[in-house]
Amino acid sequence: MRENLCVQIAGFGSRDEVVMNDLQWIQSAKKGNEDAYAELVRRHSGGLHRAVARILADDTEAWDVVQMAFLKAWQKLDRYNPRYSFTTWLYRIGTNLAIDLIRSRTSRERAHKAGTEHRLRLVGTGEGTGARADSSEADSVLQQLVGVLTPQQRSAFVLREMEGLETAEVAEVLGCSATTVRNHIFQARKALRRELRARFPEYLPASERG
Amino acid sequence: MNCEIFREMIGSYVDETLEEGRRLWFRAHLRECPTCRESALREEPSLLFAMAPAAPSEPGAVEACAAAVMGRIRQDRLDRRLHRRRRPWMAAAAAVIMVVSGGLAWRTMIGGGSETLHPAVEARRDSELQNSPPTVEVEMPGEEVRVYQFANDEDADTAVYFIVDPALEL
Repeated sequence: MRENLCVQIAGFGSRDEVVMNDLQWIQSAKKGNEDAYAELVRRHSGGLHRAVARILADDTEAWDVVQMAFLKAWQKLDRYNPRYSFTTWLYRIGTNLAIDLIRSRTSRERAHKAGTEHRLRLVGTGEGTGARADSSEADSVLQQLVGVLTPQQRSAFVLREMEGLETAEVAEVLGCSATTVRNHIFQARKALRRELRARFPEYLPASERG
Repeated sequence: MNCEIFREMIGSYVDETLEEGRRLWFRAHLRECPTCRESALREEPSLLFAMAPAAPSEPGAVEACAAAVMGRIRQDRLDRRLHRRRRPWMAAAAAVIMVVSGGLAWRTMIGGGSETLHPAVEARRDSELQNSPPTVEVEMPGEEVRVYQFANDEDADTAVYFIVDPALEL
């Protein structure tokens, strides 16, 4: 399904095994077993938090959204269709909550977020930085640039490019077509490329830095 | 060899036209090969985000989240129970049943005819408690309501009690 998720839940065995266990826990939770549901929260809250935090560019708010998503999922557990992956269903709830939250932020808050400049740890001086670019920098840079994307573009780009979901899964999560997902990603990449060149020239090859 | 294939794939990856299996391979190679990473970032800076880590969250944060979610679920359940107990129609229904059942029970106690009690009404006349006031107990199945009526022939006083949740009964 996605490489990141597989890494995160590697301790629980193969992906098929995880899905089977999820279904067992869900069946038990549907019968009112709260301990079973707590187990599902433990399994999936980390992955959901990472995705939501990237969409919101806010780690603390992301935990609030994750809690709300699990609460909503519990209230709608009877409506869960086992034909779909529990994680996809959960990501859909969490992503929708995150999108609502972004839209509800006041323009003042948005301007503050977008205008906040953080000092990025510079890597490399003379040569291109790509060779030593730390993977955690991706999160750091995105946090500063994500304000230029629409909520839908953010969600599609994070789920596809950073979380590694398949296009069909992203479409399922966002409730749109695969073509729309590709379009969101195309537009997001274009905007991020422009912002990277303008605000983070250290990511350009030495010949282009001026 | 792998690096050559990787470089040929950069355009397809960015255009979202790579088959899913090759896409996974491309992302893995991007993380593993510093040389290819550098050339890929030169060609397409936004590939930086494909290197985002799958860092697991801290176990403490996950456990705190689970505790908060389960706490909210339990609190909501308690709130719903309390809300249900406070439903006004339930009190009104209990009052109506009390009046009806009280009348029926009273007629039975004073020997007023051969009519039998409504099935929902259970009259108790315990011979060991002949000196105690007769008691009428009414249960409403599924509604967690139990009504008691105590009538004393000597002073004609009648006391009526009802308990919404039998679990609260002392």
